[in-house]
Amino acid sequence: MFQLVEFFSRNRNFIFFVLLEVFSFWLIVQNNSYWSATYFNTSNYYVAKVLTVSNSIREYAHLREINENLAQENLKLNSLVARLQEQNPVNAPAGYKPDSVFASRFEFIVSKVIMSETSRPNNYITIDKGSAEGIRPGMGVISATGVVGKVKLCSEHYSVVTSILHSQFMVSSRLVRSGEIGPVRWLSKDPTVISMMDVSRYKKVIRGDSAVTSNFNSVFPPGIMVGTVRKVTIRPDQTFYDIDLNVATDFASLSYVYVVQNNLQPEQEALQKPLDEERR
Amino acid sequence: MTLREILQYSLWFLLYLVLQILILRSIVLFDYAFCFVYIAGILLLPAEVNRTLLLILGFLTGLLVDVFYNTLGMHAAAAVLIAYLRPFWIQIQLETKGTTERLEISMTELGIGGYLTYLLPLVFIHHAALFLIEMSHFGMIGYTLLRIVASTLFTTFLITVIQLFSKR
Repeated sequence: MFQLVEFFSRNRNFIFFVLLEVFSFWLIVQNNSYWSATYFNTSNYYVAKVLTVSNSIREYAHLREINENLAQENLKLNSLVARLQEQNPVNAPAGYKPDSVFASRFEFIVSKVIMSETSRPNNYITIDKGSAEGIRPGMGVISATGVVGKVKLCSEHYSVVTSILHSQFMVSSRLVRSGEIGPVRWLSKDPTVISMMDVSRYKKVIRGDSAVTSNFNSVFPPGIMVGTVRKVTIRPDQTFYDIDLNVATDFASLSYVYVVQNNLQPEQEALQKPLDEERR
Repeated sequence: MTLREILQYSLWFLLYLVLQILILRSIVLFDYAFCFVYIAGILLLPAEVNRTLLLILGFLTGLLVDVFYNTLGMHAAAAVLIAYLRPFWIQIQLETKGTTERLEISMTELGIGGYLTYLLPLVFIHHAALFLIEMSHFGMIGYTLLRIVASTLFTTFLITVIQLFSKR
């Protein structure tokens, strides 16, 4: 007994070290529990306040680009309004009349980015709107230039968004000219390049073609820019192309984003749930 | 340690953390070289600091950085690791030098060579632990190793520059 006590007192630092390491790794592994999601990340009120200060300095340097993006967006919206006035649903057959609730299912909440990163294997963005403004985890986030990501956590006035530059994030996309659909994900390397998978090598894919969000998303409205095709390669033993896309969103000058609220998402999920359970 | 020294070291600690969180968070050179200057706060404490205190300091510093980086636990794990290894490394260094007990770890005390041989391996271990934990899949191993080396050099360089400015 005495020897045991002596052993512990002699090795107390080693034991303490192991305990701290175990605790750290436990934090890394679980990382989604309620208390860590509430306090220990950048949606924490005080942390976000500090980041806002440091971001306001960064913003001055990017004002020109931000204005440019907003002007671009105005242009895009104006042309969209004009197109919608001319013809109701695009590329639909003659008899198709969209349900008015379905057509107006998306609402947008404007929000400001207070922290954005692109250089790490898994990147997050912090925005200054939270559950008080109706943002919930799982909502999509877009910007003037393209897809940004998906809301991961919310505090009352701030949210953390999983960026498209995250190893776990996938978005279903469609190539505009060839009409091919496939998931897009990031391989944690170059922050300007993302990869599109599952596009059959027997279809024609053109360099410079745009990839937009497909109709299979319940999170993003269809037709939001994801990227443009940069490089198409074929490996002889593969049935799919390796397609590299240039990321549409410029994360360096990202300043204002739109959180997408899909009012019909709960209904859609409830409808699809039995199917998922059946497959299991 | 006198009260004045304790105050001095605490202020340095704070300065490193503020620098890390406000400025260096957004600075990456060529997509490869990151800078985690906050570990200087732990590495440059005087040699006689209690080991248990070092571990606690390392853990809390890492945790604070984690909160700002959205990587809960990663910096904490890496910082605790170097806080634990530090005393052993100092002992080895003292034995090879054959000098008497030293108090401060600074350029003036150790000379440039000794200072770098003390700093580089520990910074390297910290960065290696951090980047390897963060690596999302094994295909990135080459890329990650490059990042570790580049970041180690960058961080060491910055710590050295800050040291030169602080004529203690």
